[in-house]
Formats: sequence, C-alpha cells, structure tokens
Amino acid sequence: MVIEKKELLTFFEWLLPTDQGPGGLLTFLVVSVVLLLLGLVVSYVFCAVRRGPAEGFFAVARGVYTGVVDFANTSPRRVFAMASLAIKEAIRRRVLIAFAVFVVVLLFAGWFLDVQSDHPARIYISFVLTASTYLVLVLALFLSAFSLPNDIKNRTIYTIVTKPVRASEIVMGRIIGFVVIGTMLLTMMGVVSYFFVTRGLSHEHAVILDSRQVQGEGKNQIEVWETTFNSHHRHIITRDSAGAAYVDSQMGHTHAVTDNGGELVLGPPQGQLQAKVPIYGKLRFLDRAGKEAREGINVGNEWTYRSYIGGGSQAATWWTFNNVTPERFPNGLPIELTLSVFRTHKGDIERGVLGELYLKNPDKNITSESDFFTSVEYGTDQKLIPRTLNIVDRDTGLTKKNGDLFTDLVSQDGRLEVWVKCAEPGQYFGMAQPDVYLRSAERTFAFNFAKGYVSIWLQMVLVVAFGVMFSTFLSGSVTMLATLASLVLGYFASFVVKVATGEVLGGGPMESFYRLFSQKNVSTELDPSASASAMENIDLVMMQTMQSVVYVLPSYRDFGTSHFVAYGFNINGDLLATHIATTLSYGLAVTIIAYFALKSRELAA
Amino acid sequence: MAATTAQPAEASAAPTDKSDVVIETQNLTKVYRDFWGRQKVRALKALDLEVRRGEIFGLLGPNGSGKTTTIKLLLGLLFPTGGRAMVFGEDATSVKNKEKIGYLPEESYLYKFLNAEETLDFYGRLFDMPTAVRKERVAALIDEVGLNWAKRRQLKEYSKGMTRRIGLAQALINDPDLILLDEPTSGLDPIGTREMKDMILRLRDQGKTVLMCSHLLPDIQDVCDRIAILHHGELKELGRVDKLLTVQDVTQIRTKRLSEKAKDKIREIVKNDGAELLEIDNPTSTLEELFLSIVQDSEARPGRRASGGADN
Repeated sequence: MVIEKKELLTFFEWLLPTDQGPGGLLTFLVVSVVLLLLGLVVSYVFCAVRRGPAEGFFAVARGVYTGVVDFANTSPRRVFAMASLAIKEAIRRRVLIAFAVFVVVLLFAGWFLDVQSDHPARIYISFVLTASTYLVLVLALFLSAFSLPNDIKNRTIYTIVTKPVRASEIVMGRIIGFVVIGTMLLTMMGVVSYFFVTRGLSHEHAVILDSRQVQGEGKNQIEVWETTFNSHHRHIITRDSAGAAYVDSQMGHTHAVTDNGGELVLGPPQGQLQAKVPIYGKLRFLDRAGKEAREGINVGNEWTYRSYIGGGSQAATWWTFNNVTPERFPNGLPIELTLSVFRTHKGDIERGVLGELYLKNPDKNITSESDFFTSVEYGTDQKLIPRTLNIVDRDTGLTKKNGDLFTDLVSQDGRLEVWVKCAEPGQYFGMAQPDVYLRSAERTFAFNFAKGYVSIWLQMVLVVAFGVMFSTFLSGSVTMLATLASLVLGYFASFVVKVATGEVLGGGPMESFYRLFSQKNVSTELDPSASASAMENIDLVMMQTMQSVVYVLPSYRDFGTSHFVAYGFNINGDLLATHIATTLSYGLAVTIIAYFALKSRELAA
Repeated sequence: MAATTAQPAEASAAPTDKSDVVIETQNLTKVYRDFWGRQKVRALKALDLEVRRGEIFGLLGPNGSGKTTTIKLLLGLLFPTGGRAMVFGEDATSVKNKEKIGYLPEESYLYKFLNAEETLDFYGRLFDMPTAVRKERVAALIDEVGLNWAKRRQLKEYSKGMTRRIGLAQALINDPDLILLDEPTSGLDPIGTREMKDMILRLRDQGKTVLMCSHLLPDIQDVCDRIAILHHGELKELGRVDKLLTVQDVTQIRTKRLSEKAKDKIREIVKNDGAELLEIDNPTSTLEELFLSIVQDSEARPGRRASGGADN
C-alpha cells in the first residue's frame, strides 16, 4: 500500500510551518489575503467602469460593509428554513433513487468483483467505498448545480429575496440542506455497504477429518488436516505435538481453531476486516560504502516512492521509532514489513530474496541477533520480536543470552532503531518510510469503515459547496460543468501541477495538442520558428493559470482514505482532522465568495 | 419637465411631510443590456415618483411600459442604471427594509411542492417569526384568503385563482406596511377580482400603503387613489384618479322629474343662476378613454410628458 508522506503528518505538523513547507494555516491565510485583494480590485475596477472612480470606491466599501453586517446578522431560523426547503426539494425530486441505484449495483456486484483474488476484503471494501463516493458526488453535483439556477429561472427566488433574507443565508441554507440530504444517503449506503462487506466475506469451513496426515516423528511430529473448499479457497490446519493448532492464511485471513473433543472446529474468519494502528518511524539510509545518504539507489523505475539498497554491501536502512515502552508493547514488538524486491538476476524465482533484520540501540552499538528472513514479495511480512532475546555487542562481538528488549535496546528516551539489509549480492530491497511499522493496537473495523465514510462525506461537502458557489453566478448546466471541472482538476491536481511546471514532457496544452496531431515525439525539440515560440508563450500563460487554479482548488484525491480501510489500517485521527480543517476552510471561503456573487447579481435580469 | 412641475401642484393639495413618503424615485432609469453590454431596451427613463403613506398608488401602462421594471427596482431585484430608488428612506436593496414590505409577483412564483401551510410557514420563518406567532398568523391568513379547505394540498394542484390567493397571503405574512402588487387581479374570475379589490381597499383602511401595477383599467379606477401612466418607460400622466378623469370644460346637470317647462326655465336659470339643482357636476370620462387617448397621443408624438393638468 502506498502512503503519501503528507498522510503521516500529525495535525500540528500539517497546520504549522515546518522546514518541509509553510503549513496549512499559513497557506490558508496567504491564499485568503490574495483572493481578498483580487476580489476587491476586480470589483473596484468593475464598479469604477460603471459608476466612475469615486462612486466605485464607495460602492465597494458599502458592499464590504453590508457583507460584514449581513454575516453578523445571520439568523439560524432563516438558514434552517432555507435548508429544510432544499431538503424537501431534493426529496420531492426523488434523490433517494440514487440509493436504489446503489443497492442494485451491490446486488449485481458479484458479477464483476474478482472473488478469487488473494485479498477479497480489499476488493469488497474498495468497491463499496468507491461506488458510494461516485454516486454521492454525482448526486451532490446535480443537486447543488441546478437548485439555485432553477429558482432563478422559475423566479421563485423573487419571493425569497424580497423577504429579509441575506444572500449568505440563502447560500448557507442551500449548502446545509444538500449536505443533510447527502449525509442521509451516505449513512444509508454506509450501513448497507457494511453488511454487504461483512456478510459477503463471512464463511465457514468444516475440517475434513479423513485428510489427516502425520509428518515427522516424536517431538517434531505434526498433524495436518485440510478444510472443505468454501468461498473459493481451503485452509490447511497444522497441529504440533504440544497440541497447539494453527490455520494457514488464505485470501488474507485465517480462522481460530478449537478442539471440540477430538473434533476440530473452525471459527469465523479473522484478520481480513481489521484496523491496525501502525507506528511509523523515521527512515534513513547507508550507501554501499556505509556512509549516511539521503536516499538509496534509484533502480530506474519512474516511480520514486521507494528507494533501494543493494545486497551484499554496507548499504542499509534503518527506521527510528520513538516512545517504545513496555507499557505499549507488553508482549514484545510486532513489526510488519512490506519490502519491494528488485532483482538484477533471476536467482531462484520461487524463493524470496534473503534479508537481514535486527534491532539496535540508537545510543550504543548494541543490537539484537540478526534475523535472516526471506522477503515476502507483494505482501506483508509480520514478525513478533520477543521481549527476551539475545543481545550482540557489535564492538566486542560478544553475545549476551536472554537480554531484555526494553532495557538493552531501547534508549533512555524511548528510541529504538530497526535495521534492514539485503543479504544477497546483486539483489535490491526497496523501501519507503511507511513500509516498516510497529503495530501498536487494533481498532474495530466498523469504526474505521465509518471513518472512511466520513472522508467521502467531506468530499461531498466540498462538491456541494462548490456547486452552490458556482450556481450563484452561472446557469445550471454551466454550473455543473464548472463543478465537474473543479472536481476533475482536484482529483488530478498532482498531474496538472506536473504539466504546469513542465515536469511532464511535451509542453503545455497548446504544444501537446500540436504534438498530438503532428505525431511528434514528446522528447524531440520543436523546430525554432515564430509559431513555435508563440505556442510556447501561450502555453506559459496557460500553465501559470492552471497552476494557480489547481493551487486554489481542493485536492479531492488527498481526501480519499479508502486505501486505509481496504488495507486494514486505522485511519489516523490527525489525517481526518487535517481533512476536516481543510473542508471547513474551503466551506468558509466558498460561502463568502458565493455571498458576494449572489448579492451583486441582478436576480430579475 | 412636466412631471416635476406636477409635484409642487400636488404638494399644495396634500401637504407632504418627508416622513410620509414611503417610496421615492429620483431620475430612476433602467437599461437592459445583453451579455456584451450592448443596450437592448431602455425599460425606464428618468422616472420621478413619490408614494405616500396610506394611499393606493397605481402604475398603469400597456405591456412592456416599465411597470414591472419599476416594481423590481423598488424591491432590489434589479439595480438601477441611473438615478435612485428609495423605500422607507433607504436604498431599495436594503435587506432590513424588507421586514416591512409585502410583494405579490406577477405570477405567484411559489414552490409547487409545498402545500399552503408549509408555504406560509416557510415565508414566516424567513421573517424570523417565532413558532407560536407563525402558527397563528398562518392559520389567520389561510382563513382570510379562504383556502382553509385546501391548505394541505400541494400548490401544484392549485388553480390559478387559488395560487393567486396563497400568493397574496404570502405577501401579507409579515403584516407589511408597504404592499407591492404586480397585476393583482390577473387570472382571477370576476368574483375573485372583486374580492381582491376589496382586500386592497381593506389594507388601505388598515393604514397600509399599496403600490399596484396593472393594465386592467377598471381595477385601477376602482381602487387607486393616485395613478401614474407609463408608456415605453416614460411617465405620461400622474395624479389623483378623480381629478384625472374630470372633464374640466363640460358641466353636467342631472335632475329628477323635470317638466318640459322647467327645462326651459333651467336654461334660463343657468343663465341667471340661483335655481336648486339636484346635481350639477362635471361629467367624468372612463379611465379607458383617458388611457387610450394618452397612448395614441404618445404613439403619435413620442417623448416624455406628464401634463399634471388634471391637478389644477
């Protein structure tokens, strides 16, 4: 699973300026001030053209003053009246059909979901979350885009604005009303989806007692059973001589097994619907020569998410974890690794690449004994480091038996390092910061699922707010297009920024268009000519505009947390808090823009 | 300008206190433009009007003469291209003013999916009325406009006349001081029209100011105290209805059971003065005649004119 760096920030790291960037608060303030000044200048120019420079100044000043007064005099009763009108309107326009569509989609989901996949839970969860997102966003788009323009077209707005209703109340009422409708719908979808996922994944196996096989002898004797083939898979049950039985992991889950008087009984599936709380560490690298490096080797993959270290050299990576205390990890240290492997020679393709993992005290050259493991490619390797383990002093080479994890390897201030090396020359391990984490606790899946829906809810709020804002000065269908454009730009913000900054080859829109039709390769230079330079100049303007537009629009993709839910990670409260703060800021800005747009509009024209 | 000269004459007839002026427009002009800012229509040309507290003022004119434009400017639904529109001494766009205004649009633009009670309750909320007050007021108004039997039906099932009534009720929800009625009787049957006119007169008797516009002359003639006649966005005539309709240079005598002899005598008496007459008065023309003559005159000789002669 890919986790972006910004998804790991705590709320205050995100909010306040750091060496990584200006922080959310400062960005918000700067953008607000710029937009405010821009708004004032544009409206002044507009008024000055219509009424002359002095009158124009007074008109703008009066507008700002009444704006402040109107917002201060906002009446909850009026906002509520407008909101309940929007709700009634939406219900009478039969928006609940969207829910019916959703249920129908779920009913037929079996036709196109890959039930034989290795991780059906991921597919089920991503599917329901994606389906809910699309349906609710489309609904929010239609509701918000057409409501106000319809009111203006049908002139019902006449009877509203001739009452003491502030434009701000009309805007807020609309936004709140549609958000309530969307919330109702999302709640219904969430409940249905939850049951769809849990019921769809729940299954039972019976143990085929005849399949019992005995392997080994004496102390090493184990008994093996097979289970029945249900839900496209079967499990193998292994019981050792001490009587401890264990079910292998298939399709991302296992089952608990109990011995019911000689009859083995499997419980419900475990481990497919979970919400792990990972603790991430800070990742650092040593290069081949054993010197500290900013990052590992780029193995040529265009994707720079992971950085690689070569095997059989000094190259290593280590993660430093903070706050490692016996209270948090009473049963030892559960470490999970997701490493990617880059092979320069095939080797034994059936077998993973050998790696070395050990814990190290950050202050001393004392480590645990190295654990040599074979990498699990395309999967997550789980390890539990016991509290009592052998300790190696790397300076003297002496090994101390039965050392304690917390007293020997964790520094005074609770830091611990986890080192990973690749042990096979010519092969490489790739890693990113979130690839190794300590699994500290487990939250309930239902709650995490609900948080996933909160993320969808936030996106819906943004779409509604933008839709209502555009509808204050555009007609219905144009509003829909504009909102859709903001949604698409918001979803592909990072790509658009790359195009705008020239990071994507092939130039800006004009140049790409030309290349498309003249079938010119993106990397060949254009022949210098007047038209080429004209094209480049137009592109430059367009790219600047694109960049600033994307900078202002919400990046919807960042709001998506379905990958957390699908991969069984708890959605971090800090992440959700940053999303909520972002949504609120956009909501505020959009409401203010919509207020002035509606206020300055001649509704009867 | 003729229109401005008309005002001092009126001022002498009914001495105005500035606080008595409910609506005042100065040089109010509205030009409709297309998307590119090109002029499409001059809907209103330099209108000066004053409407005083407690009167029923009628805006009269053919279709497209600027009546509705005037009302929309007074409500802040349109912004003036030039001049000013003042209501209760404040700019027409002021939100606070709307507390005291009731407006019945040309067609009752209401939410068709609400029923009568929900409609009035919704508009009541827009005036920030507490629930108890709202309930009482809604019930009283539904009763007043006679829709008690249909108050739970959605407005989309309403007939034109019923929609008009609920529209009027919605305009009165806040017990307004100033009521703007755009074609109040349009679409009503004769009985409905009569009831609407009675309602307007009743509102005036309650001390409210009414500004209505219509092209239905009998309505205006029956209820309005003063009228302004607009044509092509220009003010053509302004004054009291009774005075405007008085034919100045003709005298009409009506008597009862008059003998032929007496008739001869009257001619004499009229000559000599001093006889007892049952009625001696100026005959009145109908508003229709006046209106048509103004429109014809205006078509023949375009330009702004408000004779105000009738005030003298």
